[in-house]
Amino acid sequence: MNIPIIKTKLYIPVPRPNSVQRPRLIEQLNAGLDRKLTLLAASAGFGKTALASEWVAGCGRPVAWLSLDEGDSDLLRFLAYFIAALQTMEEGFGAEVSESLKTQKLPPIESTLTALLNEISNIPYSFMLVLDDYHVIESKEIDSAMSFLLEYLPPQMHLVIAARENPQLPLARLRARGHLTELRAADLRFTHSETALFLEGMMGLGLNADEISALESRTEGWVTGLQLAALSIQGRTDIPAFIQEFAGDNRYIVDYLVEEVLQLQPDHVRSFLLQTSILERLNGPLCDAVTGQNGGITLLETLERGNFFVVPLDEKRQWYRYHHLFAEVLYVFLKEEQADEIAALHGRASAWYEAHGMAAEAIRHALSAKDFARAANLLELAWGDMRRNRQEAAMLAWLKAIPEELIRDRPVLSVVYAWALLSGGELAAVEKHLKDAERWLETIEADEKNNSFLDKMVVIDKEEFRDLLGSIAVYRAAKALALGDIPAVIKDSQRVLDLVPETDYLRRGAAAGLMGLAFWTIGELETAHRIYAEGMADLHQAGNVSDVIGGALALADIRIAQGKLHQTMRIYERSLQLAAEQGEPAMRGTADMYVGMSELCRERNEQQQAEQHLLKSKEQGEHTGFPQNRYRWRVAMARIREAEGKLDDAMELLNDAEHTYVSDFFPNVRPIAALKVRIWLKQGRLNQALDWVQETGLSSSDSLSYLREFEHITLARVLLARYKSGRKEQHSLQEAIGLLNRLYEAAEEGGRIGSTIEILIVQALAHQLEGNLSDALMMLGRALDLAEPEGYVRIFVDEGSSMMALLEAAVKMEISQTYGSRLLAAFGRKEGLSTASQSLGEPLSERELDVLKLLRTDMSGPDIARELIISLNTMRTHTKNIYSKLEVNNRRAAIRRAEELGLF
Amino acid sequence: MNGIFKSLDDYQKPGLYEIRLKGHLDDKWTDWFDGLTFTREINGTTILTGPVADQAALHGHLRKVRDLGLPLISVFQVEPKQENLPHGNQHQS
Repeated sequence: MNIPIIKTKLYIPVPRPNSVQRPRLIEQLNAGLDRKLTLLAASAGFGKTALASEWVAGCGRPVAWLSLDEGDSDLLRFLAYFIAALQTMEEGFGAEVSESLKTQKLPPIESTLTALLNEISNIPYSFMLVLDDYHVIESKEIDSAMSFLLEYLPPQMHLVIAARENPQLPLARLRARGHLTELRAADLRFTHSETALFLEGMMGLGLNADEISALESRTEGWVTGLQLAALSIQGRTDIPAFIQEFAGDNRYIVDYLVEEVLQLQPDHVRSFLLQTSILERLNGPLCDAVTGQNGGITLLETLERGNFFVVPLDEKRQWYRYHHLFAEVLYVFLKEEQADEIAALHGRASAWYEAHGMAAEAIRHALSAKDFARAANLLELAWGDMRRNRQEAAMLAWLKAIPEELIRDRPVLSVVYAWALLSGGELAAVEKHLKDAERWLETIEADEKNNSFLDKMVVIDKEEFRDLLGSIAVYRAAKALALGDIPAVIKDSQRVLDLVPETDYLRRGAAAGLMGLAFWTIGELETAHRIYAEGMADLHQAGNVSDVIGGALALADIRIAQGKLHQTMRIYERSLQLAAEQGEPAMRGTADMYVGMSELCRERNEQQQAEQHLLKSKEQGEHTGFPQNRYRWRVAMARIREAEGKLDDAMELLNDAEHTYVSDFFPNVRPIAALKVRIWLKQGRLNQALDWVQETGLSSSDSLSYLREFEHITLARVLLARYKSGRKEQHSLQEAIGLLNRLYEAAEEGGRIGSTIEILIVQALAHQLEGNLSDALMMLGRALDLAEPEGYVRIFVDEGSSMMALLEAAVKMEISQTYGSRLLAAFGRKEGLSTASQSLGEPLSERELDVLKLLRTDMSGPDIARELIISLNTMRTHTKNIYSKLEVNNRRAAIRRAEELGLF
Repeated sequence: MNGIFKSLDDYQKPGLYEIRLKGHLDDKWTDWFDGLTFTREINGTTILTGPVADQAALHGHLRKVRDLGLPLISVFQVEPKQENLPHGNQHQS
């Protein structure tokens, strides 16, 4: 989502020149500067904002300010403004985080906040951030994000929250730890001397002590009441009578006084005040448009000088707003006196905003005017920009505010509705709106001219309307893909290709892309690759270079499944070059290509190169990555750590990857959960792996599909590990071999050489376990033949010592001399196994290696015994033997020594 | 147990409420307090009385009170005139 920032929300209000200074409060506030939080909590009109602005103007620290409004209850928008506010103080602050908010639909919130905290801690000076009107925030997500920020707040930042009610933050805890300064209504009330100073010193009203006391007690020191009273008194001749009457009246102070103030104004001022109360922000021309008068600017300036609750929102005095409470009461008077006018006022505001290119405000006022036809027209005009900026959520909310029958008469808007629903994941209602649009197109087709019914149809975006059938089919195909209905994707995308002209590259490209993804999902890789590539060529023609680069990821993934690593590398390289040709700034997709190249380097055992590519990817900045990049990067790094034997690190990265996973319409052919299971197996955590099997409901008798191939191969690995664990699970081995045979056939038939190689490797290991060395070597031989031309290394080496033994045998029997030796050398270098084994006096037994692996976890002795199903005594014997063979005398040292020897 | 369910049920049902504020509020504000009638007492308080659809509606009213800066004195749920229930449910805050 690209969130437009309204600058006036970040403006630091300047203290009014003729306001009462409040040194006693400023002193309290200054005393709390080194705490984390200052809370100004009191009802409307107690002068919270004025006090905060007086304080920050004189505190000597840099300040950032954010005035919140109802729309900010959305976490992403809140964070975007939070960052934008700090950017007014520290240029470039949080640039990366704010970019990631744009490209990501759902960033993992803790990592975003942690990144923010890191950036804050890099700011080289102490500063304040003021969040004004925090009470408008109605979002648990934001409250907990703020709690998190406060918990870990770096010392250079001081947070100020002003609100009409206590924020939902752990105030008691903050108070108990001395992190909180609070000023509340009792503190903010004007004291007697402040009241006197205000009425006499500032306003110069010439009141006597009794009159001042009367006003003080009637308003109870409520500053808004005092200000209004002063306004009502100015220019009066009958002051004593007025005060007497006011003091004896029980009416709501604001009502009473606003009425008095309005009565004192000339007609044009009075009507200006009432009519402009519908506006959230005021500027001269806008006010003129709404009121139909001239001289709005001058009037606004006069009102500001005259203390009329008009607050400037920028230095140039272009935008103002009324004090909230004042505006609210003015609006009630407007409603009482000119109820019939209100819709027209909103209509004129909407027209002004439209003419000045502010679509969102124009739409909002049209909706307030209940002029839904106008709102619908505006939406149809705005949707192109909104789609580009991914503002589907706002679009959806507005569309929902418009009566359905009105949208039904608008074919383009119906399709826009379908798009917004689709983007928001509300799939159920998509079809209905597509059908609404289609009905119009059918009516036109059936009866060209003579249908008066057609007069009802409204089309604003004529260009979109021309090819609407194509768009309908595109969205239908996208919906089908989101629902996993592959035949429907293929049917609908074919329909697009039949419908739209050859030159409509955008829709053709989108349709071919969707169709390619469908074929990929069902494992028809060659077809998928061909169609997807055609789609990308069309998108390139249409000028959507960024999509073409992102699409390279799909093409590369398909080629990897086909075992064509060299071609895959060329895909990445070509795309990088395409990106480079577009010049600066770096094209979206650049970061993804480096991650892909890293994975290929890792497979070839070029570990340094692999890490460098990941670093480069990071350097590009997250905004140059497509939505999947965050998770793909973590998986790639996890596999590098795995190759280094750092299994805990790998697991942590995979956990992160799981949180950042988004499908982005790609089939999930290598689920992270299955990658984690493979690490557990290496860590000897068989039970967790078995739990996964149970949870996913996988079984060796499942019918096979490409989509679950990776999980099924993982299942075979779990079965082998269970057999090895010796838990009287003899049948596990046969089960695994049966499953692997079926997987092999399916992969070979689908031309998935990449999968075939892995399956053959696991088959070889299974036969090795069975004691059937000749079959094991036969399988290995086939795997080596397929893998050698593409330069695979890690796919063998990651299997560890059993594979090394098999490869040694293969080399000895001259099954694969050069390639086999190369692979063995890779074992030596990375794992240090062959050399390390030599330095061990006596090698560890299989069982001792099992125990050793578990000693590396945080499991206790009895837990390990339970996991391996041996008695505690046996387990102790194993441990003793391990210690003596490694020449150490405790667990920690044993792990260290074993790591040095590359035994894991 | 029965009692618990009953009071949970009451949470969802429309009820009669009485919201007492300090200060006299004009009738022109009734649009902002949907369906409540205003009674202004001699002691300077205003009582807003009427059916409140549910808890969300009640909180909406309280929020409006907060935004006007009107001191809130009390909120009562008023028993509808009906047979006495064994467990009276008078909510007060």
